[in-house]
Amino acid sequence: MNKEAAAYRRKKFLKYLLIHAAIISFVVICVYPLLRILSVSIRPGDKLFSTDLALLPKGADFAAYVRLLKETLFLRWLWNSLLITVTTSFIGVSLASTAAYAFSRFKFGGKKGGLILLLSTQMIPAGMLILPLFLMIMKLGLMNTYLGIIIAYSVSSLPFSIWILKGYYDTIPRSLEEAALVDGTSQLGAFYRVILPLSTPALSIAFLFNFTTAWNEYLVARVVLFSSKQYTWTLGLFELQGQYITQWGMFAAGSMLVTIPVLAVFLYSSKWLISGLTLGSVKG
Amino acid sequence: MEILYSVYEVLWFVFIVIAGIALIEGYFYYHFQFYDRRWFFPAALLGFPLAGAAGCFAMGLVTEPVRIFLWLLGSEGLIAPFFRHIVKGRSKLAYLLLAPAFIGLALLLVYPFVFEVYLSFSDLKLTTIMQWKNTGYLPFVGLRQYIDVFTTSPLSEVTFWALLGRTLWWTFINVFFHVAGGFTLALLLNNHIRFKGFYRTLLVIPWAMPQVVAVLAMRGEFHAQYGFINIMLGKLAAAYPFLAGLGLGPVQWLSNYPLTTCTLINIWLGIPFMMVVILGGLQSISSSYYDAADIDGASYLQKLRFITIPLIRPVMMPAVTLGTVWTFNNINVIYLVTGQSGGTERADILVSALYKAAFTYNRYSYSAAFAIVIFAILFFVSVFYLKSFDAAKEER
Amino acid sequence: MADVKFSKVTKKFNENLILNGVDAEIRDHEFVVIVGPSGCGKTTLLRMLAGLEEITDGEIHIDNVLVNNMHPSKRQIAMVFQDYALYPHMTVEENMSFALRLRKAPKAEIKERVTEAANILQLTTLLKRMPKQLSGGQRQRVAIGRAIVRKPKVFLFDEPLSNLDAKLREEMRVEIAKLYQRLNATIIYVTHDQVEAMTLAGRIMVMNHGIIQQVGTPIEVYRKPVNLFVAGFIGSPTMNFIRGKLKVEGDKLYLKNDDISLYIPSFLLSKTAEHDGREVVVGVRPDDVLVGGAAREKCSEKLDGMLEVSELLGHRENLYIKVGDTRVLATVEAFFNQSPGSKVAVCFNYENMHVFDKATTQRING
Repeated sequence: MNKEAAAYRRKKFLKYLLIHAAIISFVVICVYPLLRILSVSIRPGDKLFSTDLALLPKGADFAAYVRLLKETLFLRWLWNSLLITVTTSFIGVSLASTAAYAFSRFKFGGKKGGLILLLSTQMIPAGMLILPLFLMIMKLGLMNTYLGIIIAYSVSSLPFSIWILKGYYDTIPRSLEEAALVDGTSQLGAFYRVILPLSTPALSIAFLFNFTTAWNEYLVARVVLFSSKQYTWTLGLFELQGQYITQWGMFAAGSMLVTIPVLAVFLYSSKWLISGLTLGSVKG
Repeated sequence: MEILYSVYEVLWFVFIVIAGIALIEGYFYYHFQFYDRRWFFPAALLGFPLAGAAGCFAMGLVTEPVRIFLWLLGSEGLIAPFFRHIVKGRSKLAYLLLAPAFIGLALLLVYPFVFEVYLSFSDLKLTTIMQWKNTGYLPFVGLRQYIDVFTTSPLSEVTFWALLGRTLWWTFINVFFHVAGGFTLALLLNNHIRFKGFYRTLLVIPWAMPQVVAVLAMRGEFHAQYGFINIMLGKLAAAYPFLAGLGLGPVQWLSNYPLTTCTLINIWLGIPFMMVVILGGLQSISSSYYDAADIDGASYLQKLRFITIPLIRPVMMPAVTLGTVWTFNNINVIYLVTGQSGGTERADILVSALYKAAFTYNRYSYSAAFAIVIFAILFFVSVFYLKSFDAAKEER
Repeated sequence: MADVKFSKVTKKFNENLILNGVDAEIRDHEFVVIVGPSGCGKTTLLRMLAGLEEITDGEIHIDNVLVNNMHPSKRQIAMVFQDYALYPHMTVEENMSFALRLRKAPKAEIKERVTEAANILQLTTLLKRMPKQLSGGQRQRVAIGRAIVRKPKVFLFDEPLSNLDAKLREEMRVEIAKLYQRLNATIIYVTHDQVEAMTLAGRIMVMNHGIIQQVGTPIEVYRKPVNLFVAGFIGSPTMNFIRGKLKVEGDKLYLKNDDISLYIPSFLLSKTAEHDGREVVVGVRPDDVLVGGAAREKCSEKLDGMLEVSELLGHRENLYIKVGDTRVLATVEAFFNQSPGSKVAVCFNYENMHVFDKATTQRING
């Protein structure tokens, strides 16, 4: 009996060892590029191009970070991105929250048509609308302005946000609003006082989704913004990386500076975000 | 100072948006609330066109207020009876709640789409764009742009058909490896193991990183001389000469194998999403199915085939569909890797060629026609796919 | 068919002791019901027997074969799960034949066995349906059918009726009883419902806190509960408990507390003097409480009570009576003709009284 049990244990131990080994090798593949950026960003200037694989370079310093902040408009780019992103997310979420409420709670002519329209907009390739938006922005004289880029961004995540929020409102029992109506609020008052506060998790997901989409956007920004003062950080980094030979360290430093907060927010909110995404994708 | 000005600019814009929403709401509120009053028609037909034309003129948007007035009068002449005789004030609140979002979608999604169709029948390019901007004049050329899409190169060498084939190949390979990799990782993670949460957190990093950073960083790793991949290959070849004999060694990734490079990068980027979705699906399968299968005597592979895969399908299908559409439409990876001036076009797929045709080669109408063709392909494939998906659903 | 033996079976989850040295023997052809409140370890014990849960310590034998490290499918058992675990993407027939197909049994044999099981359970017309298209009771029958098809040595039922509504549960209970008569198999059945235990079991195994409290036929467990837990768990409505101290007055033994002075006849506790001053709990089932006329006719010593509430159940009636501060429930023939608030005489059927030690909670009368 003991022999048998021991063999069984050994087999099990071996199985778990293999699982861990397999996962760890995948983890290394996933994390290594990030560590490499970190390592490049702290390399001293004269060793920027080495075929050394050590993650902690000899004579590490933060010169690249200092140069990045002093010699480029990096902070300005971050500011531009922040301003654009917060504004678009704010507009997007407020439009989505009311529209989703209408879809969740009311019966009206064209409801089904509206939902189908929302879904079918998802089928239009994003790359396809860049050209007409670019021409519209040009015609309105909004090239190289925040407004132009905000206009282009503001509705891009709208259908998805409406979909997520509708799904969430659907899970809130109607009796809560009915109670509020009995207590003397109007229908809008019930939405504002009962449904919105209860939907904070879903609103945060929608906001975060809008935020990350706009924050990481590159293609539209590239055609609308052309002076480096107006750049978002994506454009700025691309430019630094383009001049591979001279700016590699500064590119790495900039990458670290934008990645760390994004990563922190994503990992902190990943449970919500993932549940929202899977909800959206599964029900969609 | 400049920073303050930028805030001012944005706040001003937000104010315009709010004012616009208020105007829209007021306009619709009037139609819903007063549709049965005796003064409904005269007030609507006189008030709105007049206010609209005066407003546009005052803001300098138009030069001929009378023409705008007549246009608005005509459309109001259609809208007002519609509200009086068909809508009759029903579902007021629902429509008022929906109006801002849908007008936004109409202006910034539907209108551009329609405009693109219009553009594809005209001839707008670098030499005619200033004329269009100033006078609004667009020459009509019929189907010429569509013919050009199929007969000339969207870029400088590659043909439409080569792009199409490459796109299908790119989509298939990427989605295949995303699903295979995601499935493997999800299965590994779905065991009762220590550090599970920690592993999961680290494994989603490629997805969580800003894509621009991730792609550019990976692009750096494929650099011929200083990239990690070639350094590793070089060291391997030096340490094990027989591998070098097999032809293993540093490779000029970016110039000789651009499509392979893009594919490897995109596979790396896309696995975490699939992993997370599939892991969620795996965790939602009730463990009693596995208990029952254990008692029934199913081996690991049999459990995989008879329980895991059939039960995970409802979760997988939408995710795979989404993944396919995303991969098909993925400009980011290819453009960020090959988009710099002098970049190769040997890695381009349809959508990235579209972007380059419009903004590197400045052939606007041409790329509009190109876009419509791509949309048509995607549309028919999705309709066909959804039909077969429905049929499969019905079978069960 | 086979017998099952647990010896010193222990289960720990991390540091939590779920099962604490379970010893039990289940004989061939026996229908044993394991009953206990939720969290008492009964399902864990069943899953360990099935091989779905690791055994921390101890041994389990099926048919005299040690099965501790044996794969579930090799143990020749079949299990009916609480949520049925019918594979949602397979038809009823495919569900029932799955195990045989995995074993690569000949097609003719598979067909024969499925048909046979379907006949027993009246599933013949449902064989091509999907589990989704079945009602709760039908799913239940398919789950049982899936077990029958495998011709196991031991059937395991894990709370199989808990997902059904009350009426269906009664029907299925009868079905399972009939099935047992027909198959004459060894069945181990886990439930938290003591009515199922009483009606189905050949023997009942009462568990609490990972320990077997009592094993016996339903009548034994009902008539002679070995401790306070079993006494309170088995039987519906619940047994009345009266706490107090034993006192000898003259040569008679009395249970005394603030409200009650209750005569304890010597056939219950014979050595009167030994029990003087002992803290005890006396248990009486509501059926053994005599009220009003019946009490006056049959008892010499009576208690004075006040009728609080009466609930009419049909041909029986529940009377809630206050004796001082102690509340006593009596179940009597309908109709008890007195209004709430009136004074009533109460006494107990001494033959069916149970005396437990308060400290050890063990039964002390014979």
